[in-house]
Amino acid sequence: MSLDERNKAMLAIDFCGLKFNSPLVLLSGCVGFGEEYTRVSGFSNTDVGAVCLKGTTLEPRLGNPPHRIAETYMGMLNAIGLQNPGAHKVVEEYLSKLDFSETRFIANVSGSTIEEYAEVTRIFDDSPIDAMEINISCPNVKEGGVAFGNDPDMSARVVEACRNVTKKTLITKLSPNQTNIAENARRCIEAGTDALAVINTLMGMVIDIEERKPVIGNNQGGLSGPAIKPIALLKVHQVYQVSRQHNVPIIGQGGITTANDALEFIIAGSTAVGIGTALFYDPLICPKINAGIIDYLNRYKLKNVTDLIGTLKLHEDGGGECSG
Amino acid sequence: MNYSKTRNTIFSEQARVFEHNAQAGNQYVMRLRAPLTASHAKPGSFIHMQCNPELLMRRPMSIMRADKNTGWIEILYKVHGDGTMRLAKRKVNDIVDILGPIGVPFKLGGYRKFPLLIGGGVGIPPMIFLAEHILKTAPAVHPLVIMGSEIPFPFKARPSKIMVSGMPEGVIAAMPLLDDWGIPSRLASLQGFAGCFEGYVTGLARQWLDSLKPDLNNEVEIFTCGPTAMLEAVSQLAHEYTLPCQVSMEEYMACAVGGCAGCTVRVETDDGPAMKRVCVDGPVFDAASVFPPR
Ligand SMILES: Cc1cc2nc3c(=O)[nH]c(=O)nc-3n(C[C@H](O)[C@H](O)[C@H](O)COP(=O)(O)O)c2cc1C
Ligand code: FES
Repeated sequence: MSLDERNKAMLAIDFCGLKFNSPLVLLSGCVGFGEEYTRVSGFSNTDVGAVCLKGTTLEPRLGNPPHRIAETYMGMLNAIGLQNPGAHKVVEEYLSKLDFSETRFIANVSGSTIEEYAEVTRIFDDSPIDAMEINISCPNVKEGGVAFGNDPDMSARVVEACRNVTKKTLITKLSPNQTNIAENARRCIEAGTDALAVINTLMGMVIDIEERKPVIGNNQGGLSGPAIKPIALLKVHQVYQVSRQHNVPIIGQGGITTANDALEFIIAGSTAVGIGTALFYDPLICPKINAGIIDYLNRYKLKNVTDLIGTLKLHEDGGGECSG
Repeated sequence: MNYSKTRNTIFSEQARVFEHNAQAGNQYVMRLRAPLTASHAKPGSFIHMQCNPELLMRRPMSIMRADKNTGWIEILYKVHGDGTMRLAKRKVNDIVDILGPIGVPFKLGGYRKFPLLIGGGVGIPPMIFLAEHILKTAPAVHPLVIMGSEIPFPFKARPSKIMVSGMPEGVIAAMPLLDDWGIPSRLASLQGFAGCFEGYVTGLARQWLDSLKPDLNNEVEIFTCGPTAMLEAVSQLAHEYTLPCQVSMEEYMACAVGGCAGCTVRVETDDGPAMKRVCVDGPVFDAASVFPPR
C-alpha cells in the first residue's frame, strides 16, 4: 500500500453503513447546498466524509432580517432563520448539481410541526440523498426547532414520525440549550434514530451600545466557534455514556478548528467530527485537520481513527457534576 | 459530471503587504501582492481578508485597484472596529491571508456616453476601480466621479484641472489620481471642506443632471457604492431621471463564498421578494430591485 493509500485507509470510516472518506463532516448552514465552497480553488468535498446541507423546510423560507451575523470573542452569533427554497426545490434543483462520488450528502430536516418534519423526510427519502439529519435544535425560528429539541417527549415524537417514513440513515441533532441532554439522547435512540449530532449552537446576544439595540436583526442568535468548544465536548462525553450502550455513533461538533480539537471530540466519544465556523476562517482547513489526525494516529501506532473513539481515561476520583 | 461554472473561481493567497499608507480620517490604503486575485478582479469584486491571525472572522474589502501585470491589488479602509484596528498595525512585508476575487462585478461594457459614478466613504474604492477600467477599455466614454465623505477624504484633494459644466460656483476640489488620468471628479460633504459641494452627493448629482440638455439625460447611467442611506437616495434619483443604476451593497459576512446566507439583502424579483447573498449573488445589484421606487 502506498503512503497515500495507507493514510486514506487510516481516515476512512463506516458511519451507519455509509462509507466516509474521513471523519470530518461539513456542518449544516455553513456550506449552503453543498457546492458553495467549491468556488474556492484548492477546496474539495472529497476531503470530508460527508457534507450536511442547509436546514430545509417544506415551503420556501426567506429567513430573518439583517443583520444575521455578529462576531463575538472566539466565535460568532448567527440568526439566519432557516432561509431555504423548500424541500421540493432542493431535491429537484440542488441535488442534481452534486457529485455523489465525491462525498456523502446529508439533508438537514427542519419544520414547525411534527407533520412537516415527517413530510420533508419523506421527500428526501425519495431522492439520492445519503442520509437525513433531523434539526430539532435550531435556536433561530419561532416554532419547531429548539422548542422541540428541548422537550424530550417532543424530540422523541419528531424522531418517531421521521423514522416511520424512511429507512435511510437518520441522525438527530441535539440542542445544548437543555437540562439533560443524555436523557434526550436516550429518548431519541429509543424512537429510532441511527446517530446523533452533538451539539447545535447555544443561544446568545450582542448589543450595539450606541444604538442600544441587539446587533442581530432577530435580537438573539446561535453562538458557534471555539468559544463553545468546552461545552460541546462535555455534552459529547455525556451523550456518549448513553449512545455507546446502543452502538449509536455521534457527530461531535462545536468550535472545532484544529486537528487537536477534532481528536478531543473523538476521544470523548465522537465517531465523526463536524467543521462549521472554522471554514469561515480558513476554507482550506479540512486537509490540514486530516493530516493532523494522521500524524497523531501514527504517533500512537493506531491503524484507523475509529480505534480512538471513546478512549477517554477519566480521573478515578474525579467528582463529575460538582465544580467550583 | 458537469460541474458548476463557479468552481475554482476564488483564490486563497498569502499576500505580502507592499505599501501601507495612513491617510486623513484614520483611513489607510494597503497595496498587496496577490497575483491571482489581481488578474481575475473586476470593478465591484472584493476580497475577504484575515486582518490578523488571532482574530478569527475575516473582513470583506472592496478592491480599489488591481494591476494584472505586476500582480498587486489595492484596498482602502477606515478603522472602525477590532478588525480594521488590527489591520492598521500590519507592516510592509507582513503576510495577509486573503480570499479573492469574490462577487458579481458591475456590468461592464456597452456603457452610455456619460457614466456617473457616485461613491460615499468606504464605498469610494469600487468607483476608482470602475473609472480606471472605463479609461482603459472605453475611450469614447466620459465618466464623472462624485464622491462624498463626512470625514476627511482619503486623499489630498486639489483644484481640478478638468472643467465640468453645470457644477456650482467654487466646487473645484478633485481626487488627484483621477484628475491625472483625465477623469473629472468632484467632492461633496456637509463638513465645509475647501472646494467641496456643501451637501449630499445626490444634491451635487442633481445639479449636474439638471444642467445637461434634456436629450443628453438619456446618455447617463449611474454606478454607486456607499452607505445604505446614500444608495437609497441615489436609487431614487436614478428613478426620478429614469436612468439605469447599479448599486454595490455591503453587509456583514461570515463565509463570503455563499455558504452561510449571513449577508443577505432583500431583493424584488419577477417571482416576488427574495433574500440574495451580497457575497456571491452581489455585491452589485440593479438599484430598483434593492430599493424599489417609492
Ligand atoms: C451561519 C450558521 C448557520 C447554521 N445553520 C444551521 C442549520 O440550518 N441547521 C442546523 O442543524 N445547524 C445549523 N448551524 C449549526 C451548525 O451546523 C453547527 O452545529 C454549529 O455551528 C456548531 O459547530 P461550529 O462551532 O463548528 O460551527 C448553523 C451554524 C452557523 C454558524
Ligand atoms: S457571507 Fe456567507 S453567504 Fe455571504
